[in-house]
Amino acid sequence: MATTTLEPPAGAPAYQRFWVLDWLTTVDHKKIGILYIVNSFLFFFAAGILALVVRSELAVPGLQIVDQDTFNQAFTMHGTIMLFLFIIPALSGFANYIVPLQLGAPDMAFPRINALSFWLLPLGGGLIFSGYLFGGAAAEGWTGYAPLTQQGGVGTDLWIIGLLLVGTASILGAVNFITTVFKMRAPGMTLFRMPIFVWTVLVTAVLILLATPVLAAGLIALFIDRNYGGSFFDPSVGGNPILWQHIFWFFGHPEVYIVILPAMGVVSEVLPVFSRKPLFGYKAFVFATIAIGFLSWTVWAHHMFTTGAVFLPFFSFMTALIAIPTGIKMFNWLATLWRGKLMLTTAMLFALGFISMFLIGGISGVMLASPPIDFHVQDTYFVVAHLHYVFFGGSVFGVFAATYYWFPKMTGKKLNEPLGKVHFWIHFIGFNLAFFPMHQLGLSGMPRRVSDYSPDAGWTILNMVSTVGAFMIAVSILPFLVNVVATFINGEPAGDDPWEGNTLEWATTSPPPPYNFDRLPPIHSERPLFFLTHGHGHAAERPADLEEDEAEDVEHRKGLV
Amino acid sequence: MTARTMQAHPAGEEAAEAAIAHGASGMPTALVGMLLFIASEVMFFGGLFATYFSARAGVPAGAWHPPEPGHLDLPLAAVLTAVLVASSFTMQFGVWAIRRGDPGKLRLWTAITLGLGILFLAGQLYDYSQLGFSIADSSFGTVFYTLTGFHGAHVFGGVVGLTIVLARTTRGQFTARNHVAVEAVSMYWHFVDVVWIFVFSTIYLLR
Amino acid sequence: MRSTLRVGLPLVLAGLFAAGCMLPPVPKTEAGQDVFNLYLLVLGLAAIVFIGVEGFILYAVFRYRRKPGDDVLPEQLHGNNTVELIWTAIPTVIVFILFVFSMITLGVVEARDEQQEATTIEVDAFTWQWTFRYENGASQTGSPTNTPVLAVPVGEPVRLILNSLDVNHAFYVPEFLLKRDVVDFGDARGPNELAFTVTEEGTYAGQCAEFCGLAHADMIFEVQAMPRGEFDAYLEALASGEPPPTGDEDCETTIELAAVESIQFDADTIQAPAGQDFCIEFTNNDIVPHDVGIVETDFDGDDVAPGESITYLIPAMDAGEYQFICTLHPQAMVGVLTVGE
Repeated sequence: MATTTLEPPAGAPAYQRFWVLDWLTTVDHKKIGILYIVNSFLFFFAAGILALVVRSELAVPGLQIVDQDTFNQAFTMHGTIMLFLFIIPALSGFANYIVPLQLGAPDMAFPRINALSFWLLPLGGGLIFSGYLFGGAAAEGWTGYAPLTQQGGVGTDLWIIGLLLVGTASILGAVNFITTVFKMRAPGMTLFRMPIFVWTVLVTAVLILLATPVLAAGLIALFIDRNYGGSFFDPSVGGNPILWQHIFWFFGHPEVYIVILPAMGVVSEVLPVFSRKPLFGYKAFVFATIAIGFLSWTVWAHHMFTTGAVFLPFFSFMTALIAIPTGIKMFNWLATLWRGKLMLTTAMLFALGFISMFLIGGISGVMLASPPIDFHVQDTYFVVAHLHYVFFGGSVFGVFAATYYWFPKMTGKKLNEPLGKVHFWIHFIGFNLAFFPMHQLGLSGMPRRVSDYSPDAGWTILNMVSTVGAFMIAVSILPFLVNVVATFINGEPAGDDPWEGNTLEWATTSPPPPYNFDRLPPIHSERPLFFLTHGHGHAAERPADLEEDEAEDVEHRKGLV
Repeated sequence: MTARTMQAHPAGEEAAEAAIAHGASGMPTALVGMLLFIASEVMFFGGLFATYFSARAGVPAGAWHPPEPGHLDLPLAAVLTAVLVASSFTMQFGVWAIRRGDPGKLRLWTAITLGLGILFLAGQLYDYSQLGFSIADSSFGTVFYTLTGFHGAHVFGGVVGLTIVLARTTRGQFTARNHVAVEAVSMYWHFVDVVWIFVFSTIYLLR
Repeated sequence: MRSTLRVGLPLVLAGLFAAGCMLPPVPKTEAGQDVFNLYLLVLGLAAIVFIGVEGFILYAVFRYRRKPGDDVLPEQLHGNNTVELIWTAIPTVIVFILFVFSMITLGVVEARDEQQEATTIEVDAFTWQWTFRYENGASQTGSPTNTPVLAVPVGEPVRLILNSLDVNHAFYVPEFLLKRDVVDFGDARGPNELAFTVTEEGTYAGQCAEFCGLAHADMIFEVQAMPRGEFDAYLEALASGEPPPTGDEDCETTIELAAVESIQFDADTIQAPAGQDFCIEFTNNDIVPHDVGIVETDFDGDDVAPGESITYLIPAMDAGEYQFICTLHPQAMVGVLTVGE
């Protein structure tokens, strides 16, 4: 259903820059989105290799492959790169590409700042990695606890500066997304007619806007302690090491919701389309997302239960509370599947995988919310299991779901489905092999961030299984890469709307023209394209939608600002 | 942005064009951006204030002062506060002027604001040179220089913005209907002033 | 029905299998038993949720799969207030149950038995070893070849005072189901304490559980719980067995060596004469304990606390090049001892 016809018809434009220069200087949100995604995957592979180093070393007791310092650098860089240079930018990249399209807008509110936000990422990531060239990368864990970080070499300073740049990129991006949502929605799209993905990006952007600066303050204070004789965190000169933990986690906890919410948004786009039903409980889902946004500020000290320096009941209670809006979302997804007509495309498989894996991560999270249980498993592999189930089983599965879902829109070609399913199944099995045993490793007492363990501890078999799983995950990337390359070269053309989607990005060509839309369909609900495809007369639609006044379209456009 | 994004309904077309040209109804888009940016800066200073209060809490009452022979210069700081507060007023006069369509007055008030801002920075630097303690001298020194130093850096950012506004208004680029940059810079300048009031009150008055 | 069974049965089995695999060690402290019971409750609730949700997903995938060629849209359900209210209430109830039982258990874990006097032991954690200091003045510092032992009386309250000499550490004994961070809070507050009562005699492995740098993985210790009589004897033996620091004025040659900040010697090479006894006057200017050892002769001097010094008497050695180390930090503190004519 083409609502965009290119006029004048696309031919060679009168003026065309050399393609490298074009991509280097672009301010088009679609190209920037692709830059984000490609850059993120490169960092994903780098951090993945670091994970394989860690898992190879831990497969059996004894230090066989790397020395302790190299190991410590490996897990530090793995965590830092995965969180700051892969997951968040990848989801940002999809948001960059898709949000203006879903809003019916021609671009983001601030296109040049959009470009700046991107280019700060390879710069910041490069700085962080450059530690390897200067005597060793940062090796204090991605959480960089003081006063341990006092002792790090140049690598730690580069880590600090690199993160400051990456954080700046995030903050600028957040300003852009929030402004775009409030100022650039197409007429007729009230806030409660926005796609769920846009809602999750909006709440995420607010979290980024307000949390990342706190990390920046902490990083700067750390830099001053390390280089200018400051006494923020070093107890030997009057500082307080717990202050670092408070500052870091005040950012760090909203950070994990920043990581998961857009992925939840992706899942909430994919599930309805491939169930051929609307998302069940759209409004409740929006409010649950906002509630999670609010609650995420009140739980940070649950990372510090074992310090003996926090008020346990409050933080335990608030942490447990977050399970409620999360549970609501889970049920909304399940109800969307209920009596649907499920199409098990690869995107759908990853979305279903997300729900299954995130459930496990959520369950272990609720266990960690209980201080007595936390006293036993904090800083053990139980936490490593939990965080990988939510970050990997959650967010990364969401990234892959987004990739398979929106690849046709971005390139005009559909990824090969059988190959996609091979990717999914090897990935899914490998993932569970790698991380499920870590629950038991942690419960039986294996601490995290250890380069080695005793052969008498009884941890060897589970570690070996976990390593096999890790390599399986690595192997699963091969069909994915083959798929992407082969599809670029010779893929099946997708057309405007290969999935019978609901939202506006499917109302234009694949890929869209630079200005996105020639013409927009009328917007009366959160599924404008569904209406266009299936007509106003569909019996199951709420009558209220059919009574919208055309004049109201412009009235509602005013929004909040 | 182009006017090629159109509603299929004719009634919406003009509204859509107007919306795109003027950033819809309500606050201009650039100001929304500035407001959000300021929100992030509030959180940044919040983090710095947290370090201040944490350091303060670790020291018994009466012992919270610069390390000997350092001292705080309250009179100078009070003068600097007056300078900055005055500069907020002059900035606002400039904004009102251009809203009335008077670029000449805008130029005058911007120049005065810029001068006051530079005076504040010079005064801050002079203060630093006289204090007798450094960032490495006790936790007081660390949080004092960090908090006032980053505030000063933000004042500098504002000074850069004011310079650009002054240059642009000298070239006659602002009118009553089109002066978003002036509004944005003034919003930022007021923010910087408010932060200083908090910094001054916390360090010099609250102690 | 068949699809339900096909899906349900393996899922229930998988759930039970997974749950059966996911247990902490059998607890050896009183509080640990309560933690274990709380965990069982939480695990039970988790298993129900897990089986329910994953079961539904599998069921939905089989039951609601679109038949090829079926283009009729399913019923477009947008929501249902009643159902949504119910499934908001259920997690709320579960959450409250978990929270209340957590707090009850926390109260037990944190309780100190005020009636009985607790045996107090000072625990010093430093990169990357432990020192245990007992009430009678006896102490033991571990080394890479000699895992430090924390002796405790079984069945009686024990109170540990956790001191960090440098970065953050954590005292963790998995079989106690307990850990506590070891942090130098500076002047802000006193050190963390950990109280427990061991229920069974035995030896329990312990380890640092807060990443503390290079050799974090090596920072292990053991807890030995023994009857009171044995415990008292153990402490006495430890106290008297500590050799006095060697100070010997019969040295013709004295080499000066110091340990300095950040786990280093102040010299990479030292020289000594061959064929005669010589002394090393060793001063510890670092913030953690060090000592001096000679690799090839197995000489292992006594540990020296920060700020202290000692004079080691080294028996005569043949000419040649040897390695001297700090036996507590053998990778970081290494040097060359040249013994010549």
